[in-house]
Amino acid sequence: MADRVDGAVALAIDAADLHKHYGSVEALCGLSLQVAPGSIHGFLGKNGAGKTTTIKVLLGMARQTSGHARVFGLPADAPDASVEIRRRTAFVSDDKDLYDYMTVAEIIRFTAAFFPQWRVDLEQHYLRTFELPPDRRIKALSRGMRTKLTLLLALCRRAELLILDEPTSGLDPAVTEELMQTLVSHVASEAMTVFFSSHQISEVDQIADAITIIDRGRAVVSGSLDDLRQQYRRIQLVFDNDAPDAAFSSPGVVRTRRSGRILTVLSSAGAERILDESRALNPISTDVVPVTLKEIFLESVAAED
Amino acid sequence: MLWYKSWLETRWRFLIGLGLLSIVACGAVFDYEAVLKLMPLANQLDSAIDTSTTLGKIIKRGVAVQSTYRGFIWWQWVKQNLTQMWVLFAALLGSGGLIATSGAGALFTLSLPASRARVIGVRAATVLAELLALAVVPSLVIPLLSPAIGQSYSLVDTLVHSVCLFVAGSMFFSLAFLLSTVFSDLWRPLLITCAIAVCAAVAEGVLMRDVPFGMVRLMTGERYFLGDGVPWLGLLASAAVSASLLYAATRNIARMDF
Repeated sequence: MADRVDGAVALAIDAADLHKHYGSVEALCGLSLQVAPGSIHGFLGKNGAGKTTTIKVLLGMARQTSGHARVFGLPADAPDASVEIRRRTAFVSDDKDLYDYMTVAEIIRFTAAFFPQWRVDLEQHYLRTFELPPDRRIKALSRGMRTKLTLLLALCRRAELLILDEPTSGLDPAVTEELMQTLVSHVASEAMTVFFSSHQISEVDQIADAITIIDRGRAVVSGSLDDLRQQYRRIQLVFDNDAPDAAFSSPGVVRTRRSGRILTVLSSAGAERILDESRALNPISTDVVPVTLKEIFLESVAAED
Repeated sequence: MLWYKSWLETRWRFLIGLGLLSIVACGAVFDYEAVLKLMPLANQLDSAIDTSTTLGKIIKRGVAVQSTYRGFIWWQWVKQNLTQMWVLFAALLGSGGLIATSGAGALFTLSLPASRARVIGVRAATVLAELLALAVVPSLVIPLLSPAIGQSYSLVDTLVHSVCLFVAGSMFFSLAFLLSTVFSDLWRPLLITCAIAVCAAVAEGVLMRDVPFGMVRLMTGERYFLGDGVPWLGLLASAAVSASLLYAATRNIARMDF
C-alpha cells in the first residue's frame, strides 16, 4: 500500500537541503533528492561526491547536520522510524562487507529471521543461479560471489526499496552483466523502487528511468532519463574567424566552450532560444545534436569545476 | 538471531577461557596434597618471618590462611588463578563488536531492522552470560573433585565466590565494552582494561592494605571468606558502575556516524 504524506502519495525518497559535515569536511551541502515510488533511480557522481554519505543518511547510519531526509515519508534520523525504514528496505553496500565467520547458509538463515516475508523460493532460485555453495565460509568467497550473495540477501526479503551503493565496483564485465540482468528481471516481476549509486554511466543508462547527478555534495542534474535526453542539446556554431567570447542570456546554458572557429554550447533546456540568440553572432553554420548521458554527466560535473 | 551472531563472534574466546580455567581448577585441587606435605616446614619457618615488612606480612598471612583446605582454595584458586584469568577473559570478551573493522559486517548489521541499542544490548547480554559461566562452571570443578583427594568444599562457598567475581568483575567487561565503542580494533580496549585492572590490584595491594574494602577484595569475596557475610553493598555499587558503563557504550553507539 502506498504511503501518504498530507494526503499525497509519499515519495520513496525525499531529501531537501541536506547538509552533512565530518569535522571541517562538508560531505553534503544542500542536497535535494526525490525518488518516485516504482522507479529505477540512478545516483551518479564522481568518487567522493557524497553518494555513500547520502545513502548512509537515508538508512540512519549517519545523521545529517541539517536539512531533512524522508524514506516512505518517514524521517530517516528518528531511531524508531529508521528501524521501520530498514524493515522495508534492502541495502547492498559498496564494500560487500558481511560476516566472514559465517557460511553462506548461516547468513541466509540469519538475515531471513529479520524478515517474516522472506522468499524461500527466490532464495533457492538465486542459490542455483549464482552457484553459491551453502557450506562455504564468506571469508572464502571471491568478490563476485560475495556480491551475488549480498544481492540474494537483498532480493529475497520482499523489500519495497532496494538501495545499491556501487553494486558492481571491482567486478569483471561478465559478472557485472549477470548482476544487471538479474536486477532488471527481478524488478520487472516485483513492485519495488530501486535507488542505486554508481559512477559507471553505462550501467545507469542501461537500467535507470530517472537519474540524479551529484557533485560536491549537491544535486546538479535531476530528472527522468527520457526528459533529460529530450532537453539536453549540444549547439555547435562555426565562425569565419576565431569564435567570439559570447555570454548567452537565455536560460538553460550549462557550459560554453571555444575552440578555434567553433563555439560549443551545452544546453539543458530551450535550445531553440539559445539558437535564436546565437544568430546575432553571425555564425556561418549551426548544428544542434542530442547528447548522451555520459556527456551530460561529464559536462555537468565539469561545469562545477 | 542477534544472539546467534554474538555467540558465533565470541564462542572461541569463551570456550578457550572455559577450558583453561577448568584445567587450572583441577590443578588447584590436586596441588593441595603437595602443599600439605610442605605445611610442617612452613610452620617451622613461620617464626622466622619478619612481619615488620609488607612482604613478610603477606607471606605470614598466606601461610596462615592456607592451613585449611577452604583457605587454600580461596587463596590459590579464588584470589589468584580465577580472579586474574577471569578478568583477562572479561576484557577479551568485552573487546571488539559493532565498530570493529573489516570482516565484521558493521554496515550490514546496521542495515537490518534492529535498533543499535538492541544490537549492542544483545551482544552485552551474550557476553555477560558467558562470563557468568566462566565464573561458575570452572569453580564447580572444586567441590566435584575435592572428594578425590579426601577433602570437601562447600557448594555454597563456590557459588558465593563465583557471584562476587561475576558481579564485581563485570566492571572490567563493561569498561572494555565501552572502550570498544571508541576504538575500532580489538587490542586497545583489551590492553587499556588490563592495564587499569593491574593498576587497581597493585594500588589495592600496596597502598590500600589497611582499607577494608576494594575492588579485588570484592571480586574475591574476602569479607564472606572471613565470615562477615556477602558484601551486598559493594556488589550493588559494582552493578551500578557496570550498568552506567554499558549505558555510556549504548549512548556512544547511538550517536555515532558509520
